[in-house]
Amino acid sequence: MQKLSISFLGKDGPGIVATVSQGLSDNNCNILQVTQTILGAEFAAIFIVDAPDELTINFLQDKLEQALGRDQHDISVLIRQASHGAWSKQVSCQPYVVTTDGTDQPGLISTMARVFARHNINIENLKAVLGHGGEDHALFVFEIEVPENEDIGRLNREIHSAGRSLKLNVSMQHRDIFEAMHRITDF
Amino acid sequence: MLSEREVISTLDMVRNEHLDVRTVTLGISLFDCVSHDVELFIGNVRAKIAQYASNLVAVCNEVGDKYGIPVVNKRISVSPIAAVAAPFSPRDMVRVCQALDEAAFEAKVDFIGGFSALVEKGFARGDCALIESIPEALATTQRVCSSINVASSRSGINMDAVALMGRQILATAAATADKGGFGCTKLVVFANIPQDVPFMAGAYLGIGEPDVVINVGVSGPGVVKKAIDRAIEKGRSSGRPLNLLDVAEVIKKTAYKVTRVGEMIGNEVARRLNIPFGVADLSLAPTPAVGDSVGEIFQSCGLSVMGAPGSTAVLAMLNDAVKKGGSFASSSVGGLSGAFIPVSEDSSIEAAATSGFLSMEKLEALTSVCSVGLDMIAIPGDTPATTISGIIADEMAIGMINHKTTAVRLIPVPGKGVGEKVSFGGLLGEATIIPVPRGDASGFISLGGRIPAPIHSLKN
Repeated sequence: MQKLSISFLGKDGPGIVATVSQGLSDNNCNILQVTQTILGAEFAAIFIVDAPDELTINFLQDKLEQALGRDQHDISVLIRQASHGAWSKQVSCQPYVVTTDGTDQPGLISTMARVFARHNINIENLKAVLGHGGEDHALFVFEIEVPENEDIGRLNREIHSAGRSLKLNVSMQHRDIFEAMHRITDF
Repeated sequence: MLSEREVISTLDMVRNEHLDVRTVTLGISLFDCVSHDVELFIGNVRAKIAQYASNLVAVCNEVGDKYGIPVVNKRISVSPIAAVAAPFSPRDMVRVCQALDEAAFEAKVDFIGGFSALVEKGFARGDCALIESIPEALATTQRVCSSINVASSRSGINMDAVALMGRQILATAAATADKGGFGCTKLVVFANIPQDVPFMAGAYLGIGEPDVVINVGVSGPGVVKKAIDRAIEKGRSSGRPLNLLDVAEVIKKTAYKVTRVGEMIGNEVARRLNIPFGVADLSLAPTPAVGDSVGEIFQSCGLSVMGAPGSTAVLAMLNDAVKKGGSFASSSVGGLSGAFIPVSEDSSIEAAATSGFLSMEKLEALTSVCSVGLDMIAIPGDTPATTISGIIADEMAIGMINHKTTAVRLIPVPGKGVGEKVSFGGLLGEATIIPVPRGDASGFISLGGRIPAPIHSLKN
């Protein structure tokens, strides 16, 4: 068996997952992991599957594109060999949540992301909430994994300095505080 | 993955609603510091406090930064000095108090509590010396807080102590007359004092407590008020107005959240200092800042002002809902755990007292359903000691009969009368002097002796 990563991107509508999963099943692919999201009118999903060794990427791509075309879904397909070993599992990390909020402007995400990249910090989830604090207001929530050997005080200062350069309110908090306040979990 | 609501709600609470940890208080037992020699005792005390408290402020700040929730106050509580310094004279007690003040300064904490005596059933030698030393001790120190327990549900009310404290409160005010009787802001008289209070001025480390322990006071009333306001607005705009059952539910859930924050941060501070975690005190402690007031919660609940008819009912509901939410959030709830109504420290309560809606009598009624008591109330400087003692006796009776903590922290402002203002600065705020109840208690107070403990059955 081989592990494949299959991405779908295109116009959202009912029936996409039904077509895709049927297409994978018809080609003897077993779905191991899947995530999907909708942003505006766009649908995006990644499937990780176990596929028979004899199944070629080109053949599977043709079959899936045909099935999507037949069911009139405007969706692109990208297939590649799945990567091994999640980054955050290889490096010992602590989860933090960074938020920036203020007037929406170009370069906002890139300024923050450059700070993260410089410190070898992985962004695990990124979300924009527009209009929460009025027109032109943007709140970005970065859920990040910070390597344990990072100097948190220094990182905090750099993030705040980057935020100040864009006139943004910035906060950085360990993720556990959100869990503690809003979720009831087992011991 | 966190939801949008979880992130936005936390951000709003921190930025706009004063979500914080009110105090992390390091309790330190001084029983292993005792000596017959006052110099040796002071040396031992200074060394022990330095050993455990030197990293307290730095660690609290680090943990606060990690979670993005400030730890506003860092404090120390110690064993009752009247017990651990029992052989010493009043003059020595003043020196001990000054040594505690210096130790607090070195540890960079704003207050140290425990210049205390437990005299509900009678005076030991150390108790007499400590109480005698209070006026000078509090006048010559900045950070030391003193508490005297004069009553309990098991022992009754020590009326000799009540009479004595009336005189000592006046003497303490006189000793700090240049600062409006400031010494009295650090002096509280208690019934049923808990052993693990992290809040000042009543913090001390009880005899049944560990050698060192971290106790935490959770966030203040601002978060609760905003949560009620938000829920009421949402109910109104969605056509389903809130009733009081809904309001109690909102308070309960908010108390849960702030207690989780306090407990989590307290636990991490304790772990990093390698000290056991003690309790989370659920008390809603206001500050003079607008939006951080217990008094404003009354207005959110539909009263024109705190003190209006209905105020005792609102406070009872608030106090109970906070306890219910907090108890679910933490298995280590302790201390006072109720709403505070310190007049000068709460701008809205202060305004209600100034405008005459809150009298001493109404404040006394309110204390029967909340913690902690008649707190931070400025009274005329010429109030007789026996009147102060009478007020203390009434408040102690409420605590004794109802098996709850009550306390009195009155400030007779030297040279000033009803309607005049006094300012204590910072968290202690400012107050207008309000009248004390009329009538003469001197004959009653001069009787002395003890009011016996109440019967524990036939509860009606």
